[in-house]
Amino acid sequence: MTAKPAETPSPGARLECENVTVRFGGVIALDSVSLSVPPSTIVGLVGPNGAGKSTLFSVLSGLRRPNSGRVRFEGADITRMSAQARARRGLARTFQHPEMFTGLTAREHIMLSHRMSTRRSRIWTDILTARGFRPADHDEVERVDQLLEALNLTEISNQPVAGLPLGMTRLVELARALASSPKVLLLDEPSSGLDAQETEQVMRVFERAVELSGVSLLLVEHDVAMVLRLCSYVHVLDFGVEIGAGTPEEIRNNDAVRAAYLGDETAAGVASIEPQGAGS
Amino acid sequence: MLEYVFAGIALGSIYAIAASGIVVTYVSSGVLNFAFGSMAYFLARFYYYLNSEHGWSSIPALVVSVFVAGPALGAFLYLLLFRHLRLSSPLIRIVSTIGVSVALPPAALMLFGNETITTAPGLAHQPIRTYKIFGASANLDQIIAVGCVLAVVVLGTLLLQFTDVGLKVRAMVDTEAMTSLSGVSPAKISICVWMVTTALAGLAGVLAAPSSGLTPGGMTALMASGFAAVVAARLRSLPAAVGVAMGMGILTDVSQKYLPVNSSLTNAILLSIPVFVMGAFLLAYVAVSGQINEASSTGGALDNAIRPMGGSDAATASSNAAVVANRSGWSPYMLGPVVVIGIIALLPLLLSGYWLTLLAGGFAFAVLFLSYTMVVGEGGMIWLCQASFAGIGALATAQLATNHGVNPLLAVLIGGLIATPVGVIIGLLTIRLGNLYVALVTLTFGLLAETLIFTRDVFYQDGLGVLVARPSYLLDDRSFAYFALAVFVVLALVVVNLRRSTTGLALAAVRYSEAGARTVGLSILGMKLLVAAISTFIAAIGGGLLALNYQSAMPMSYATFAGLVWLAVFVTIGLRSVTAAVLAGISFTLLPGVFQTYLSATWGNVPTILFGLGAVMVALHPDGQVAMNARQLQGFVVKVAGRRGRHHGARPPGSPPAAKEILTSPDVTGLVETSR
Repeated sequence: MTAKPAETPSPGARLECENVTVRFGGVIALDSVSLSVPPSTIVGLVGPNGAGKSTLFSVLSGLRRPNSGRVRFEGADITRMSAQARARRGLARTFQHPEMFTGLTAREHIMLSHRMSTRRSRIWTDILTARGFRPADHDEVERVDQLLEALNLTEISNQPVAGLPLGMTRLVELARALASSPKVLLLDEPSSGLDAQETEQVMRVFERAVELSGVSLLLVEHDVAMVLRLCSYVHVLDFGVEIGAGTPEEIRNNDAVRAAYLGDETAAGVASIEPQGAGS
Repeated sequence: MLEYVFAGIALGSIYAIAASGIVVTYVSSGVLNFAFGSMAYFLARFYYYLNSEHGWSSIPALVVSVFVAGPALGAFLYLLLFRHLRLSSPLIRIVSTIGVSVALPPAALMLFGNETITTAPGLAHQPIRTYKIFGASANLDQIIAVGCVLAVVVLGTLLLQFTDVGLKVRAMVDTEAMTSLSGVSPAKISICVWMVTTALAGLAGVLAAPSSGLTPGGMTALMASGFAAVVAARLRSLPAAVGVAMGMGILTDVSQKYLPVNSSLTNAILLSIPVFVMGAFLLAYVAVSGQINEASSTGGALDNAIRPMGGSDAATASSNAAVVANRSGWSPYMLGPVVVIGIIALLPLLLSGYWLTLLAGGFAFAVLFLSYTMVVGEGGMIWLCQASFAGIGALATAQLATNHGVNPLLAVLIGGLIATPVGVIIGLLTIRLGNLYVALVTLTFGLLAETLIFTRDVFYQDGLGVLVARPSYLLDDRSFAYFALAVFVVLALVVVNLRRSTTGLALAAVRYSEAGARTVGLSILGMKLLVAAISTFIAAIGGGLLALNYQSAMPMSYATFAGLVWLAVFVTIGLRSVTAAVLAGISFTLLPGVFQTYLSATWGNVPTILFGLGAVMVALHPDGQVAMNARQLQGFVVKVAGRRGRHHGARPPGSPPAAKEILTSPDVTGLVETSR
C-alpha cells in the first residue's frame, strides 16, 4: 500500500467536486457536497440507502449533470464534460449493478477498453485498412492476457459474460475499468453480492492496483469494515448531506456519524476492527 | 363547418377505439401491438366476407366477425405467441408482432378470397341515412362510430372500476410481478385483455373500412393514427389517448375544409396529420424531459428488476453462453459464409429465363437486407423505414439516369449518397428515444415518405414509376445478377470488417449497455449515427439496384408495409449474418416463384405467411434460423474438440471454473504493470 496522505486530501487532487447539488423535482439528492481524491489513494464514500452516493458517482462520472457545483479532474473543470470525454481523460468506473456488454466475452471487454484508451479515430481506419481481418496486435494481446491472468479470468475469457456468476462479472467489470489505464477509478459497491472470501480477494486487487499503478480509487461501499480497512480518508453522506469526513479513526470516533449512520450497535462492531486490516 | 366537425368526431372515434386497444395491450402486457392494423384488416375482411359476399345482415355479421372471431383470434395469437413475449426484449416483441402483421393479411386472402375490394360498407344499411343535428348533417355510419366509442369508454370504465376482473387488470398494469405474487394469474388476465383488444381491432377495422379502404395499407394507416394518439399519451394514459385521437380526427376533417379539393397533395397532407401530431408530441416531450424511454414508464420495481435490458442480445447471450470465437483476424468459422456465397455464385450459371430474373432480383434484395444486418443486427436499432430509404435510392437513380442523363451505376451511387443524410437526420432525431419510440417514429417516417413524397406525379407516373435503363453491359440478367452479387460481396466485406474490428466491438458495447459504453469512452451519438449512415447508404444502394433490376422505379414497391415484410423475411433467416442476408434475398424472390409456378394461385400467399410466421418464431430463436444452425454446428465442433481436450486432461472449453475456484485462487499477483 502506498503511503497514507495527510489527514485532509492533498491540494493536488486528481478528482474533486465542490458544492455539488442535485435536485430531483423537490427532493434534494445532494446538498452542496464536496470531496477530493488525491493521487494513489483510496477514498471511501459511505452512507445508508438513499444517502446520495450513487447520484454523486453519476455526477462525477458524467452520467448526470449537477444543478450547481463543480467537478474537477487534475485541476481542469469537467462539470459540463460528457461521460465519454471524462473516460478518455482517465476516469473509469464500475456500477452497483454491473453494466456489462452481455454478449461480449471478458477478453473483448478488456480489449475494447484498452483500445479506447490507446487509439483514436478508428472508424475510417477500420474500414480502409481491413482491420477486422487482421489479427490483434501482439502488444495488445499480451496486455489483455496479463490482465486476464491477474484477475484469474483466463479460463472464461472467451465466454460471453451473460452466463457468468456475479462475482466473476464484477471482476470482468473491474478488468475492463483497469484496462483503460485509469488515473481515477470509481467503484460502486464492489463487494455487493460477494461472500467474505471473495470480498477479501477483491480488496487485495484494489490494494495492489493502487500500489503498482498509482491509480486513485473512490470507493462507495456498504461494507463499513472494508471501507475503514482500505481507505485513507472517508466521507459520510446522509440524505444528500455530508455528515462527516476524516480518516477511518476519526470516522470511528465521530459522534454524528455514529448516531446518524452507524448506530451504536454497528459502531461497536466497527470499533472492534483492528487496524491490522488498514495497512495490509 | 359543423358537418366537418361531426365527420371529424366520427373519424376521431375510430382512432380512439384503435388507440384504446393499443394502449390497453401495452400497459397490461408490455407489448406494443404492431399487428393491430393487420388484425383489424383480418376481422374487417371477415365482416365483408359475411356481410357483402354472403348476404348476412350487418348485426349478425358484426357479432360473428368482431365479437366471436375477434376474441378467438386474440386468444389464439396469445397462446401461440404473445405469452412468450412477456419477458422478451423490446426488439423481439416488436419483430414478433410485425411477423403477425405480415402473416395475417395473406391468411385473410387465402381464407376469404383474393378479390380486390374498392369500396367496403360500414355498419349502416345501404343507402346510408343522414340526420340533421344542429342544422348540420351526419350520416348513420358516423353516428354509429361515435356510439361505439361511447360504449367502449363507458363499458371499459365500468369494467375496470367496478368489477373484480377490472381490479386485477389495474393491479397488473401497475406491477405484473407483484400481482402474480398475490396469487392472481397474469396469464388469465392477459388472455382476456388480448381477446378484448383484438375485438376492438376488429371493430375499428369495420368502422374504418369505408373511409380508409379495406386493404392492409389502409389498416396500417389506421394503426399509425392509433400509435400517434398512444405516443401523445406516453403509451400509458387511456383518457389522454382517447382525447388526442378525437382531436386528431376533428383536425383532419376540419383541415379538409381549407385545403383544395381533388388534389393528391390534400390527400397526402390529411393522411400525414397523425404523423405530424406524433412528431409534435415527441418533440415537446424531449424538450421538457430530455429523453423518452418506454422502459422507465412501465411496471414496478420488481418488474424492472426482472425485465431484460437492451436488444435481443441480452436474452440470446444469456441463453447461449457458449465459447465465442475470437473476433480478430481470420477464423475457420469464416469459411462457412465463403462456401455458401461461393455456391450461390454458381446459381446464375445454372438458372435461366424467369428463374434467372428472380435470382438477379434476389441479389438486389440481398444488398437491401444487408442494411437490416447493419441497423438491426449490429446497431440494435429497430428502424422500420428501410423501405423508404430504398425508395429514395430507387427514385433518385431513376430521376438521375433517365431525366438527367447520369450513368445508371453512378446514379445508384449518388442515390445512396442522397439518402444517407436523411438516415443521419432520423438518427439524430431519435437519439434520445427508447427502442419502442424509435420503431414508432421510423414507421411513421416511412408512412410520411410514402404519402407525401412517393405519390408525387414526378415519381409516381400513374403507378408505373419512372423507367430506368440498365447500362448496355448489364442488359442480360446473368450479367446483372453477377454485378448485384459483386456489390453485395463488397458491402458484406465492409460490414464484416466493421463487425470484427474495434468499431464492431464498440457497436456491440453500445447495443448492450449505453451507460457502460459511455464510461469506457464511447460516444453513443457517434456510434448510432455511424450505423444510421452506413445502413441508410446500403438500403438506398439496394433500392437503386432494385430499380435497375425491374428497369423502373415504382414508388409503391417501397411502401412501408412492404418494408415490414422484408424485415420479417430478414429476421426469419438471421439477424446478424451476411450469409442470412443473401439467403433472405434469394428466398424472398425465388420462393414465391416456386409457389406461383408449381401450385395454384391461392397458394401464392403462402410464402408471405411463412415469412410472417418465421418472424414470429424470433420469440423462440432470437438470432434467426441461419444463426441458430450455425451455432449448433459450432457447438458440435466445440463439443468434439472438448472431448478430445478432456482425453488430454484439459478443461473443456465453455465449462468455466466456479466463481469461488477463481476468486479463492492464489493471490492476484499478476497485476504488474498492467493497469497503467
